[in-house]
Amino acid sequence: MKTRNYLMLCGGITVVLILALLYVPPFSDAVEQLMLAFLSTNAR
Amino acid sequence: MLRIVIQVLGILVLVLVVTIATLRFDNRDADGPSILFPGGALVSGELYAGPEPDWTFTDDVFTIELQLLDPLSSRTIFVMESNGKVYVPSGYMRSFLGRIWKDWAFQADAGDGLAVARINGVRYERQLVRVKNPAVIEGVAAKLAQKYAGGNTPEAVAAIAQSVSDGDTWIFEMAPRTGGAS
Repeated sequence: MKTRNYLMLCGGITVVLILALLYVPPFSDAVEQLMLAFLSTNAR
Repeated sequence: MLRIVIQVLGILVLVLVVTIATLRFDNRDADGPSILFPGGALVSGELYAGPEPDWTFTDDVFTIELQLLDPLSSRTIFVMESNGKVYVPSGYMRSFLGRIWKDWAFQADAGDGLAVARINGVRYERQLVRVKNPAVIEGVAAKLAQKYAGGNTPEAVAAIAQSVSDGDTWIFEMAPRTGGAS
């Protein structure tokens, strides 16, 4: 992928991800549960 | 090929960083914590005033919200009652991720420990005091095992007590505030 297209993809992912985390509570809750599970398993 | 690998790794790192930054930013001034990320001051809920409560009611409470006054931030945490007193744990204290995740425990231990706990919507002004006394820890470990580790078998209690002894798990009593504390 060319750099220009890659940067546009990164920008798009960032915008969609931020909006989903802020305005779709079930999505952000699921993400946090996943992170909690990861930490509980790997923080030992 | 290498370029593609680097680009994919870049996107994964981007997703992780954006997710953590967004959730942390979104919760920073919230009235309480989210599942994982710290929130701001506990504002809503009646402020308890009266004699020391019978903390056995916390046996039916899975998690509480706990706010430190300095630095001002709140998190979700387990709670255990033992011999009429109430305690909160902090695990993973000697691991790299734990030191980042449980920074509040280091701050509480190093500072004055002034805190507010919100339990079932009621706020209690308390003072966190780290407990190391093995006699006390045994009772707390039994309750911790009973509530959160599938049962207070001798093995589970001993493992928790050993974890506390090793410094992997810290136990704080949520004691009444002493005179002068506000």
